[in-house]
Amino acid sequence: MAPRLTKFTNGLLLQDDRLIAGDLWISSDSGKIISPQSAFYGSGSTPDLVLDLKGKIVSPGFIEAQLNGYSGLDFAKQDPNFEQRFRAVRKGLIKAGVTSFTPTMTSSLPEVYHTNLPYLGRTQARTASEGAECLGAHVEGPFLNPERNGIHTKEVLQKAKVWDDIERCYGTDNFRHIRYITAAPELGNMVDLIPEFVARDIIYSTGHSDATFEQAQDAARAGATMVTHMFNAMRPFGHRDPGIFGLLGQQPSRPTTPTQSPQQSSPTTSPTIRSASNKPPVTPPQQFSLPRRALSNSSTRTPTPRSSIDSTRRRSSPRSSLSISTSITSVPDATPEPPFFGLISDGIHLSPPTLKIAYSAHPTGTILITDAMPLTGLPDGVYPWTDGENIIKHGSRLTLEKNGRIAGSAASLLECVNNFIEWTGCGVAEGLRAVTQTPARMLREEGKGRLGVGCDADLCVLELDEDGKLVLRQVWKFGECVHAT
Amino acid sequence: MKLIIRDDAESASEYVARYIIKRINDFAPTPERLFILGLPTGSSPEKIYKYLVEAYKNDDISFANVVTFNMDEYVDLAEDHPESYHSFMYKHFFAHVNVKPENVHLLNGNAPDLLVECAEYERKIREAGGIELFLGGIGPDGHIAFNEPGSSLRSRTRVATLAEDTIRANSRFFDNDISQVPRQALSVGVGTVMDAREVVLIVTGHNKAVALQKVVEGSVSQMWTASCLQMHENAVIACDDAATDEMLVKNVRYFKSIERVEVEQIERKGRATVAAISEDSRSNQWRGALKKLQVDTNGANKKTHKAENGELTPDSMHGRLVDSAIAMDDIEKMEDGMKLTNMGSRVNTIEM
Repeated sequence: MAPRLTKFTNGLLLQDDRLIAGDLWISSDSGKIISPQSAFYGSGSTPDLVLDLKGKIVSPGFIEAQLNGYSGLDFAKQDPNFEQRFRAVRKGLIKAGVTSFTPTMTSSLPEVYHTNLPYLGRTQARTASEGAECLGAHVEGPFLNPERNGIHTKEVLQKAKVWDDIERCYGTDNFRHIRYITAAPELGNMVDLIPEFVARDIIYSTGHSDATFEQAQDAARAGATMVTHMFNAMRPFGHRDPGIFGLLGQQPSRPTTPTQSPQQSSPTTSPTIRSASNKPPVTPPQQFSLPRRALSNSSTRTPTPRSSIDSTRRRSSPRSSLSISTSITSVPDATPEPPFFGLISDGIHLSPPTLKIAYSAHPTGTILITDAMPLTGLPDGVYPWTDGENIIKHGSRLTLEKNGRIAGSAASLLECVNNFIEWTGCGVAEGLRAVTQTPARMLREEGKGRLGVGCDADLCVLELDEDGKLVLRQVWKFGECVHAT
Repeated sequence: MKLIIRDDAESASEYVARYIIKRINDFAPTPERLFILGLPTGSSPEKIYKYLVEAYKNDDISFANVVTFNMDEYVDLAEDHPESYHSFMYKHFFAHVNVKPENVHLLNGNAPDLLVECAEYERKIREAGGIELFLGGIGPDGHIAFNEPGSSLRSRTRVATLAEDTIRANSRFFDNDISQVPRQALSVGVGTVMDAREVVLIVTGHNKAVALQKVVEGSVSQMWTASCLQMHENAVIACDDAATDEMLVKNVRYFKSIERVEVEQIERKGRATVAAISEDSRSNQWRGALKKLQVDTNGANKKTHKAENGELTPDSMHGRLVDSAIAMDDIEKMEDGMKLTNMGSRVNTIEM
């Protein structure tokens, strides 16, 4: 009979961005973290099991937001034994510390969505022995930009013009199984459809897209709150054309100090002249005189959210040095918050400095993902992929046989955390937060990702080895120990 | 009442903690004969709890057979509010020691019928056999528990309305926002505290000086409800120098001298017994022997002591401590092996 009340003592608990020494009480009856004080005064309970962690780290269980398959099961392939194999996936995945995940379906034909989505819906039962909890499917496609398809098969990609296109693709009854969607906002009428997803409690993520910064902003304003594997499968960052990455450089929507509008910074008007002239206050556009003509486009009218520069044309040649594609004034009520964004820190998809720069731009929005392929958990070798193509697996490195393109990776989430900590110097707490609290916030998952009273008792007990790397020691799900080394 | 004056709050708190530990260990509580302890909350007792927790971790004391009754709790404040007395007691004490949840009693400020709650509390104390030792503090207005000035000196557990002074003093725990402080509290009465067999107060800090002066040097008055302890047979107040600031110098010196005289008495008698004891056995046995000692709670020795010591030792409590170095005439009654423990227990109490 499993102990009902467990007390962890002498541990370092992850709280926001730091590790704090303290005790943690969990109940396997409710599967949640409890308040010891309430237990003491209320039921007069004392712990059934006291674990002295001797300084080990307690983190909420890891939340994997992008996983394409595991142990050979591809979530985007139809399989007669899908349900059974998926159960095995959940049992295997939790041993890596992943207590919750959103299984990702790469771009597929509608029939595959209709078949598989019912199996990938949110796990209803709170049974610890079943392993990792599925939080609903992540449909990555098929509404992606063919120019930025990665390894998605171009033939199945499509554009959506009306909501009906979306319904026909996934199946009307299957929306309740979808947790979040990755789509290219610049195609079809996707930006207009984003609010429909949001209204159905589906998180919209921009990815596999060639969107410019303005297009990405439009999507954000329409309700996009996440970016799928930043930098990969999108327009590269340009210093005057930051693309989707530019979303991380936005100012917060309500700045604490007023921003300066252009007329005050004009070099030709001086305050003394204005006051001495006794003129009534003039409206800004008339008073304002710019030294250069090129900037007049965006400044002779009162600032509006949209940039005046043509945002739909792809620029083939560099502009004059003074024209910039971003609006130079920021309007308090129109700029959305910087989004959450995924980073694959397997050492294959992104270089270390890139991780550091992205993290520094928006630390509280950083989510680490593996984007791991179904081959994860299988031995090295050559494996068949869709449409007669092959993938070569070598350690955690996967490449498409025909063109050597990166075909995802087979790294573990903990490996990604360790890499991230090493390359950004963010510290253990921040590294762990990027796979716990931040993905939980992105998914709007209230009871997970934190060690708070009332949250699910999904825990990872870790310790640092002599190289300063985190090593997984125990995994707890719903208040029960499901894995220990 | 006996006044134990120490240099600072830390040593005064340590003294009280050690004293309580000694009392409980001497009592040697069992599941059939539990030690009933009355407890307060506040910044002064916080240090005492720290020492008690430390002592528990060092295996110097077990609270397995100790029953606790707290003095008070706010009305209409959620039990899990960080400033409730339930939270205070859990955070500082119950979370770290082995007191059993069923032996813990606190007033419930959210009870459906507050009067019934108070009457029940009194009944529980009675059924437990009465409080053996009540630890407490005093407020800047001389109140004991939440018995504000004007409270009847015979009062029992009841609903008390907090005085503005108290509310202001407590606002420091509520973000310095006076409006957040509860206006009422359930509290044991003055009479309830007086019923305890022993009362120990911890009074530290300059802000308690006026109150301490009134309680010790003033008359018994409803305006300084703690002054009622002047009528208690076994009352001790442990304080620091700062808290004695408003007292007459001669009185402060007087109380300090009582302790000094006791120390001298002990040293004189102690020297005679020490000579007979070997070095090795002393250090090995004193602590263990301490636990075997009995406390004479029926006070049978009280009368003999009053006759002998007269006014120099107004407190009769030491007479109940059979092993106490102060109760010298009991040495003959003890076994040989215990003589050396007088030195140990004396060192314990004096070096605070």
